[in-house]
Amino acid sequence: MVLTPDFATRPVISFQHVFKTYPTGTEALRDVNLEVPEGDFLFLVGPSGAGKSTLVRLLIREEKPSKGKIFVDGIELGRMKRRRLPHYRRKVGLVFQDFKLLPNLTVYENVAFAMRVLGDPDHEIQARVAEALDTVSLSGKEHTYPANLSGGEQQRVAIARALVHAPRFIIADEPTGNLDPATAWEIMQLFLRINARGATVVMATHNREIVDLLRRRVIAIDAGQIARDDRSGRYHEDVAKPQVRVQ
Amino acid sequence: MLRNLKFAFNSAWQSFWRNLAVSLAAVLSITLILILAGINLLVGHAFSQVLDGFRDKVSEISINVSDDTPLPNVYDFQQQLAADPRVTSVKFVTKDEALTQFKSDPQNGVLAQQIDGNPLDAKLDVHVKNLGDVAAIDAKARQWSGVDPTDPTNYQGDFVNRMLQLSQWLGLAGAALLVILLIVSVVIVMNTIRTAVYHRRKEIEVMKLVGATEWFVRGPFVIEGIMTGLVAAAIALALLVISYEPVVARFKSDVGFIPLSYDPAFISSLATDLLLAGALLGALGSYIGVRRYVRI
Repeated sequence: MVLTPDFATRPVISFQHVFKTYPTGTEALRDVNLEVPEGDFLFLVGPSGAGKSTLVRLLIREEKPSKGKIFVDGIELGRMKRRRLPHYRRKVGLVFQDFKLLPNLTVYENVAFAMRVLGDPDHEIQARVAEALDTVSLSGKEHTYPANLSGGEQQRVAIARALVHAPRFIIADEPTGNLDPATAWEIMQLFLRINARGATVVMATHNREIVDLLRRRVIAIDAGQIARDDRSGRYHEDVAKPQVRVQ
Repeated sequence: MLRNLKFAFNSAWQSFWRNLAVSLAAVLSITLILILAGINLLVGHAFSQVLDGFRDKVSEISINVSDDTPLPNVYDFQQQLAADPRVTSVKFVTKDEALTQFKSDPQNGVLAQQIDGNPLDAKLDVHVKNLGDVAAIDAKARQWSGVDPTDPTNYQGDFVNRMLQLSQWLGLAGAALLVILLIVSVVIVMNTIRTAVYHRRKEIEVMKLVGATEWFVRGPFVIEGIMTGLVAAAIALALLVISYEPVVARFKSDVGFIPLSYDPAFISSLATDLLLAGALLGALGSYIGVRRYVRI
């Protein structure tokens, strides 16, 4: 079953006039307004340096907005206390281009790590990790170290780690950036399945084929501003067939 | 909580062995510091033993009693002294006893044979609690009518004052050395552990991204620091214990006039101090070293 995002309900992610200027003076985002309903699947596209990664960093509260407000699940990230941050991060599954796996931990230990942090009991960790590894088709590789896996397999471990604690949001920054087209497509299938289970997915990507093929919501960022927000968009603006504009 | 503690212990243990080279560097630097601190403590203890011996000797004062002083007067003054809170004991030594004591001292051998009659005074041997009070007792004795005016007491004010000064200086120097060692060691340990933490900054980043609390991240590092400190303390202690007795023996044979002695009882107190210092140093160094990377 594929959940259809309900654009009429209160958004689970909301950017309100968000500006981000780094201490170096670089203006990364300018007056960004964005609303994401629960269960949405959203691509962030745009040239390098456009502000996609800054938007992702703001969403996972690695950075705070210089101006404006960001709400996720009713929490204003900019005003969230530091001690609450770990609890917020536990609601979010994160996937990165460089996988961010721990090289000295096995596949099983890497995935279990996200649950150990929560202090979950061993028997629950075992069951959930097995399930997550099954979802990403890595059963049988539990005792392998990341260095002995292909790029696609490493990314699948990272995805298993992101979804093992059943997060409500998956935020992915260029998850297919280091993968060949066939592997990238496999990884995308995984994200679609996770989204179909109800998780909201926000993905920054440069992968034109995938964006064009999936025809999901596309937000194009250019020079720190939202240039385009199409409900069923392509990587580049389709001049022949005008898109339905959200904003 | 218990699960988190178990996890922290497990990952501290694993990380200690996985990053053995860095762990050994930390162990080595803490060991060296603790050896220096241990030497300082041992030297301090040896000197305080020597000083205690001297102090015991010089905190006794003999008051010479004039030959014509009636015995009741002597007893009266003896009681007065015994009632003084600064005095721990007073002993009356008669003229005969003084002579016997003099003769029994092998140093006086030749002189004792030449003595005709008994030229020695009867005396009151007074033991004083604090070295600093000897002067006051001496003053009191000199005012007493029964004292021998030609040679009232054996008090050597200058020597006592020097002893007091020396003991104060040694105490201060030891304390200053310990403070310097403490500061240097915290800086060294902090930097060593910061290097260890730097190698594992990716791990910390991942921990934070999956929602680990600051203490969850910090816990294994602090435990690892304590482990490192304890291993270093054990090595330092072993080396000090092995070399303590031979060094004291060698010192005694080379510099015999200083009554230095081997004190096995001090080893348990040294062990407690070093293990505690090692654990604290490791924990503190890790806590500070990891701070920069842990803060979200």
